[in-house]
Amino acid sequence: MIKYILKRLANYVVMLFVAVSMTYFLASAFMNPRSNYMSRHPAPPEASINRSLDNANINDQTPVILRYLRWLKGVVTKWDWGLAPDQSPVGSAVATRISASVQLVTIGTILSIVIGVAIGVYTAIRQYKWQDRTLNAIATFFLVVPTAVLGLFVVFGAIWLNNATGTRLFYVTGLHSYGGSNPWGYVVDFLQHIILPTIVLTIPGVVGYHLTQRTYLLDTMNADYVRTARAKGLTLNQAIRKHALRTSLIPTCVNVAFSIAGVFTGAVITETVFAINGLGRYFVTTINNNDINGAVCIAAFGGACTLGGALLADIASAWLDPRIRLG
Amino acid sequence: MYADMNNDPAVETEDGRLEPKLKRTGRMTLYVRRFMRRPSAVVGLVLLIVLAFFAIFGKYLTHWTYEELDFLSLGTPPDGDHLMGTTSGGSDLYAMVVRGLGRSMSIGILSSLATTVIAALVGTAIAFFEGWFEKVGMWLLDMLLVVPSFLLIAMIVRSASGTAGWLWLTLGLTAFGWIGYARTLRTLTMSLRELDYVRAAKFMGVGSLRIIVRHLIPNLGSVLIINTVLGVVSAISSETSLSFLGLGIKAPDTSLGTLLNEGQSVIVTAPWVIIFPSLVLIALTFSMQLIGDGLRDAIDPYSKSAGKAE
Repeated sequence: MIKYILKRLANYVVMLFVAVSMTYFLASAFMNPRSNYMSRHPAPPEASINRSLDNANINDQTPVILRYLRWLKGVVTKWDWGLAPDQSPVGSAVATRISASVQLVTIGTILSIVIGVAIGVYTAIRQYKWQDRTLNAIATFFLVVPTAVLGLFVVFGAIWLNNATGTRLFYVTGLHSYGGSNPWGYVVDFLQHIILPTIVLTIPGVVGYHLTQRTYLLDTMNADYVRTARAKGLTLNQAIRKHALRTSLIPTCVNVAFSIAGVFTGAVITETVFAINGLGRYFVTTINNNDINGAVCIAAFGGACTLGGALLADIASAWLDPRIRLG
Repeated sequence: MYADMNNDPAVETEDGRLEPKLKRTGRMTLYVRRFMRRPSAVVGLVLLIVLAFFAIFGKYLTHWTYEELDFLSLGTPPDGDHLMGTTSGGSDLYAMVVRGLGRSMSIGILSSLATTVIAALVGTAIAFFEGWFEKVGMWLLDMLLVVPSFLLIAMIVRSASGTAGWLWLTLGLTAFGWIGYARTLRTLTMSLRELDYVRAAKFMGVGSLRIIVRHLIPNLGSVLIINTVLGVVSAISSETSLSFLGLGIKAPDTSLGTLLNEGQSVIVTAPWVIIFPSLVLIALTFSMQLIGDGLRDAIDPYSKSAGKAE
């Protein structure tokens, strides 16, 4: 088992290295930090532009391969991810935003898995009954509503509710605004902030897990070994719980593991709508500021999340699936 | 609805030899009939046709154009002159929605088609050549999936602006959209490559490209058609997300996502700026989803959503 995991890990590290290097070259080719200075009035002298670009190692007059090697050396030897065009270090900017993203994404992910898988199992057992049809229709609807639209309508509803009740039930921006020292006040304040973005993150997640879990469970429910279990005298519920459910959870587990990175990109929209200063919003800033190092750093973080998820998926399916035997 | 799937007249007539009185039904007729039998699919199709007409001919219903600003009515609610009101900048929202719908539709359809073509060629080729080619190919595909594609698309599209911006966006969505799909197609091809006539063709010396195009891809036809339609939904979602963040389509051009972005800041004072584009967008993605589900039932013989014969 350990050997298997180490082998996968080594492969993933190489993959991450190649992917991040590719992103660096793409970013260098398509982003032009020099244009930040061109729009200024009065335009700064050429030499001073070059000096600040050189200092951040993003000068387009230096060959890209040289910049890449310098950047790589900084990352490998000093864990220094470089400077933004305004000379602020990128690494610490990303690090401070990770906590906001984690607060936001964790609750949403857990809720979507629990609710989504529960609904999936519930509807699979009642296939083609009215409960299944109703929930499926609702799911199909939410499946196609883009996150931005969903987010904006949730904001709209919350503001309407705030106005209707006359009190500030929900906050539509940020994650914290409580300044006092009462821990209870802090928790209530946090909940008032987090509930709306969590709804926006949870609904698409629930729909995804619901539809896939339903399909997987329906696939295994008709399998021979479940029929055997029924023939041996187990009730339908027992047979499903003991035999069908476990197998059908394998693909869901893989999805969960991979969703770690997917939720991160999905949160870009949610963070923008609710003005939460997380990684997603920082990413939009780096793109708008032609911040090559910042964008690459976020891509590397996203990639590390994806591969961490893939590794978890490998381990989870090895643990759940009796057919997978590790050397 | 599902119960009468069993005494399906089309299925019976397909077996024309047993009942010589009946005329043989062609495959396309069969698909069309199965598709039309699903009310939701027909609703989706009608909705899409209405939206397409709206996108093409809708601009003749008003004398405003999407680039024109009416400085006498800034942020006015819908009335007789401005059918959907105006934005805070004075643009006629109706004209912008028509234009934006056209943009979002063309981006979605074009990039979905291109994605399917690339994914079909690469996915089948990787499975067909087997051996080290397959190993390296799969490794490369996995590697390309490591960095979230959304980030890469945003990087590329950001530098493009003006009227050609939407082509760049289509290109970006295509360039990073085909990878996961190619992986799925490779898995499906793995069983196809063992088919007798594929092997026979291989041993007779038929060229690889010809085998891929003549034998492998047609076998995936149903999957490809369904996924192209459903791919439009995801392409439109990506497009609106990027434009909403200000990274996709930018002024003077407009798309539904750009309109959502404009409406975000005036959600309380001018809610119509956000409501109309949202409704049109949901109608568009919903219609494509319904059509895709309908096609899946009509074309895919292995589809489980068509109901069970019990």
